[in-house]
Amino acid sequence: MAHITLNQYLQQVLEAIDSRDGAFCAEMLSFKHPHVANPRLQLSSPEEKCQQLLEPPYDEMVAAHLRCTFAVSNHDFVEAYKCQTVVVQYPLFADDHCVFRALPIISLCMCLQSKGKGKVGDMLEKAAEQLMSCFRVCASDNRAGIDDSKKWGMLFLINQLFKIYFKINKLHLCKPLIRAIDSSNLKDDYSTAQRVTYKYYVGRKAMFDSDFKQAEEYLSFSFTHCHRSCQRNKRLILIYLLPVKMLLGHMPTHQLLKKYDLMQFADVTKAVSEGNLLLLNEALVKHETFFIRCGIFLILEKLKIITYRNLFKKVYHLLKTHQLPLDAFLVALKMMKVEDVDIDEVQCILANLIYMGHIKGYISHQHQKLVVSKQNPFPPLSSVS
Amino acid sequence: MAANAAQQAPTPNWPYGGNSSGESQVHENPEWEKARQALASISKSQNSTKTSPTNHNTQQTGPYQAADSSAMQQQQQYYQQWYQQNQQQYAGYPYPYNYYYPMPPYGGPYPPGQYGVPGGYQTPTTPTGQAPAMPMMEDQSSSYPSQPPPPATPQPPPQSPTSTDQPPPPPPPPIPPPPNAQYPPPPSQNTYSPNGPLPYSPTDSNTMMQGYNSGQIRPGYQGYQTPAYQPPQQQGPGQGLYGGLGRVDAKKPNNSNMNKGGQQLWQRMKQAPGTGAVKFNIQKRPYVMTNQNVPSGDQAPGLASPTATNPSPGSVAATSTTSTGAAQTRPQDWPQAMKEYVQRCFTACESEEDKDRTEKVLKDLLQSRLQDGSAYTIDWTREPLPDLKPKQSRWEAVPQRSQENAIGRGGAIRGRLGARLGNYRNVFSQRSPSSSSSHSSRSSSRSPSPHSRHRDRSRHHRSDSGSQSDSSMSSDPRFPLSRRQQKGGRGRGAERERGRGAAGERGRGRGKANRGRRNMEDLASGIGKKRKGGNAGLDFHDPNREAKKQSRAARFHTKLRTEPLVLNINVFDLPNGTQEGLGWDECPIVGTCQDITKNYLRLTCAPDPATVRPVSVLRKSLIAVKTHWKSNQDYLYACEQMKSIRQDLTVQGVRTDFTVEVYETHARIALEKGDHEEFNQCQTQLKALYKDCSSDNVGEFTAYRLIYYIFTKNSGDLTTELVYLTPELRADPCVAHALELRTAWALGNFHRFFKLYRNAPRMAAYLIDKFVERERNIALRAILKTFRPFVPVEYVQSSLAFLDLDSCLAFLTGLGVTFTPSDPSKIDCKVSSVSLTTS
Repeated sequence: MAHITLNQYLQQVLEAIDSRDGAFCAEMLSFKHPHVANPRLQLSSPEEKCQQLLEPPYDEMVAAHLRCTFAVSNHDFVEAYKCQTVVVQYPLFADDHCVFRALPIISLCMCLQSKGKGKVGDMLEKAAEQLMSCFRVCASDNRAGIDDSKKWGMLFLINQLFKIYFKINKLHLCKPLIRAIDSSNLKDDYSTAQRVTYKYYVGRKAMFDSDFKQAEEYLSFSFTHCHRSCQRNKRLILIYLLPVKMLLGHMPTHQLLKKYDLMQFADVTKAVSEGNLLLLNEALVKHETFFIRCGIFLILEKLKIITYRNLFKKVYHLLKTHQLPLDAFLVALKMMKVEDVDIDEVQCILANLIYMGHIKGYISHQHQKLVVSKQNPFPPLSSVS
Repeated sequence: MAANAAQQAPTPNWPYGGNSSGESQVHENPEWEKARQALASISKSQNSTKTSPTNHNTQQTGPYQAADSSAMQQQQQYYQQWYQQNQQQYAGYPYPYNYYYPMPPYGGPYPPGQYGVPGGYQTPTTPTGQAPAMPMMEDQSSSYPSQPPPPATPQPPPQSPTSTDQPPPPPPPPIPPPPNAQYPPPPSQNTYSPNGPLPYSPTDSNTMMQGYNSGQIRPGYQGYQTPAYQPPQQQGPGQGLYGGLGRVDAKKPNNSNMNKGGQQLWQRMKQAPGTGAVKFNIQKRPYVMTNQNVPSGDQAPGLASPTATNPSPGSVAATSTTSTGAAQTRPQDWPQAMKEYVQRCFTACESEEDKDRTEKVLKDLLQSRLQDGSAYTIDWTREPLPDLKPKQSRWEAVPQRSQENAIGRGGAIRGRLGARLGNYRNVFSQRSPSSSSSHSSRSSSRSPSPHSRHRDRSRHHRSDSGSQSDSSMSSDPRFPLSRRQQKGGRGRGAERERGRGAAGERGRGRGKANRGRRNMEDLASGIGKKRKGGNAGLDFHDPNREAKKQSRAARFHTKLRTEPLVLNINVFDLPNGTQEGLGWDECPIVGTCQDITKNYLRLTCAPDPATVRPVSVLRKSLIAVKTHWKSNQDYLYACEQMKSIRQDLTVQGVRTDFTVEVYETHARIALEKGDHEEFNQCQTQLKALYKDCSSDNVGEFTAYRLIYYIFTKNSGDLTTELVYLTPELRADPCVAHALELRTAWALGNFHRFFKLYRNAPRMAAYLIDKFVERERNIALRAILKTFRPFVPVEYVQSSLAFLDLDSCLAFLTGLGVTFTPSDPSKIDCKVSSVSLTTS
């Protein structure tokens, strides 16, 4: 496959089209397929050949694809992007399922191409526009039967759009897409791979929207259904699943972190479970770059609340009383080298913990004491909504 | 089924054995030989085969033995003999001929046999013979069960009942190999195969076989079949397919009663009606046939061409003679040379597409020839094959050539045409046998009806001269014909028609037989194939074919790009370019206006330099606006002036520190007055400007941006902003404050949050003011829920950073907070909390 001639390649494409073998056709236009590396197909002007063998919509697609491989081999990603744009625009006009199936993979390539571009943002947004127009075609395909409906392409396109939107930080654009899938009767029938990807993005979005329950649900699905061979993908999922899980009181094991090379979380995990505010701050600072780049710094920051709770729980266990003087908490915080802390801030922190349900009890402002419930004053995190 | 199996078996033999046998048989008809030679040099052995066909006994035995290639060949020979005899009979007595064909040889026994017979017929009256065979084949292959019923009708075998099993033998004793007879159909096929094989072999036995097997062959067969079928249909009054079948059956019975039972029944059915109704049918059919054929071979487009040709001739003949006679004459009338020519054309086809084209070409050509009668005068042997191979101007070029040839050759053409047709058919089925027998048979069969006979005879003579293959084909039919002739008394017209149909069927049958054999080989696949081919021939399947054709044609059309493909990769550059062109950077303007102040007007057209102020003037303007703002705090005026300044800068493409200053100034003013829109516009511009221009206030406005994100609760943008914060920027007091504020806000640490709010640097407090109320509300809820039994208002005031007690009280009362009855300075948390949560 890797060294077929142009004629052989075109012949295969032609056969795929004739036999309506969408999967194979898609492969032949994919950038993940080995034929891309075939120097015999990397032509600067494959138009003539393609025109001879293929019918109008297809010849241009294939020609553009081949030229794209040529451009990529020359590291000319701008031209590659333009070529891919040509490829992608065509399936819209070809009312052919087989070709349509090819589209997703094409669009993926386009995204990859646009990465190499200088003006990443602009290219990505244009790519998103292209994909969006594809998506509209898919979503509005109500004529075809369920088996060969273009709606099967929706989820892939949405995933690609998610990818772009997350990259350019336009998460608000995701909403209509999510709504489209939620209202789709096919949402549970898409391929597992696509659903894993979809839930990964939706889970991330839920996490950013502080909807941690939802985020945990989506990301857990994604993690458990992700193919076991996709270690990298599982790691990506874990990067978002771990903070969410920790926020909900589930701490990852050391082995898990080691398995997926996520030791940046090790100290965080330890600090949170120990209520070691100092260690947590250090860990966050230490890996700040990593966490920020992953976009989870703000989430991990929320772990401080859990850490406060665990710390105060220790205080409670030390004092072994239900009426805890606020000074005790102040001492604890100072021990954690939290500066500028005064009794009012302790009250504030406690107020928040009580308000969020992490502590059952109340503060007596008059007596400057925290009165906790005699039963289960620190309810387990998982039970706290 | 046995017959089928036999047929199947033969089929394989066909190609191989067919070649040898076919070749030998072919020799009989010189034209055939020529055609074969022309088609492919393969036909060396044809002479021997031809001779063999003459030997009826050997041939017959052979065919029945079908299993063996030699047997096949022999069978073919037999068939040929049969056909010849039949044909002769037919020629002499068209009616009887017809009967015979349907009844004994073809119809009853084996459609396959018929097919085989058709092979013999093919050359002479291939159409009829093949046609029947084809239907049979189709029926068998496709749906045997269904066929049985038809067979009943075909059984007309009454004529050929004897022939049914023996049918092939009937004419010639050899047929008796009734055992074979059952096989006869196969043998017939074999015979066909011999014929076919011969032709095939000569042309390209292997290739042809393959082609046939694949389906290309089928098409080719179909093409042949169609013509054959059509005639049969004509014979078979009502049902096109059935008619075809019936005819086939009739022929089959003649050839071999094999399938005959059902077929014969069919034939009988047909015959019964045929005698009386047959005529009508015949008349109608001939017309129909002609119509169908001519228009597009409704039944089978591919077949249509040959059929069309046949029908057309038939129509011509009909005009001269009675409709019945005409119908009869039509299929049979065709000059053998012409048939051979057709066969040649088809054998020359390498692919289905070629065959399709050939069909079209031939259809037109033959129709025209037959209509103007030149078909009978032209020397078909000299007719150039249609330019299918060149493919360039196939349709056009071919017809022209053929016409020319036809014209020049005149009467001889008929025979040649027939021969050619036979050859073609033979090529597919069996050229030699059909050719030799067909002529004689036709002449005999036709003889029954004087007019038709004469015509037939004359034609036959011509054809004979051209190609004997037809005679051989007909010879087999003759036997059936004789029987038919007997019946013929009842309804000559019908018989004639039948004869014609038989002839056509024969030819078709051959094709079909071949197909059938192939089909037999692969029952399932074969069925499908048969259907395809048979359909084409029978008309039933025609729709598919036409659809296919259309799709094919559509493909070609679509393939035609008016202009060479050019990838418009640069299309996307253009928009960018144009956008940039529209950008102010591209067309800098230097203003000349010296006014310090200028009212803002949204530009709706290209700016006029006379109304634009240069940067030097704008500096003065900015100072003036600042002064005016400080003294008057007239935001509307300041905003308008600032906007006009911004506009002038934009128009002139000025992006300097001064531009940054202008935007910073405007942003501050807007912030102070809480003008969101202008502030955001400025912030957006500043973000872009900071990439190019350094400013001392980067930190300040970055902090504003961070705070603004807190206001919008946009954690995504906040995260992004964090990514791009350099350590230097983080050290900026404004940014550091904003970051602390953000942390406090994220953790709900309202105490710290409001502490930072109180200490906000520069104009951050203005920004925080936008959402401080919101945060206070949240904080108050936490406080009220946490503290018991009450909380002093002072604590709330200090914690939530109220400047004075009154504002705090106003805030609290605004939320419906309840104070303790005893001490208004204390908040009843429990009650207030409830009211807050409910509110």
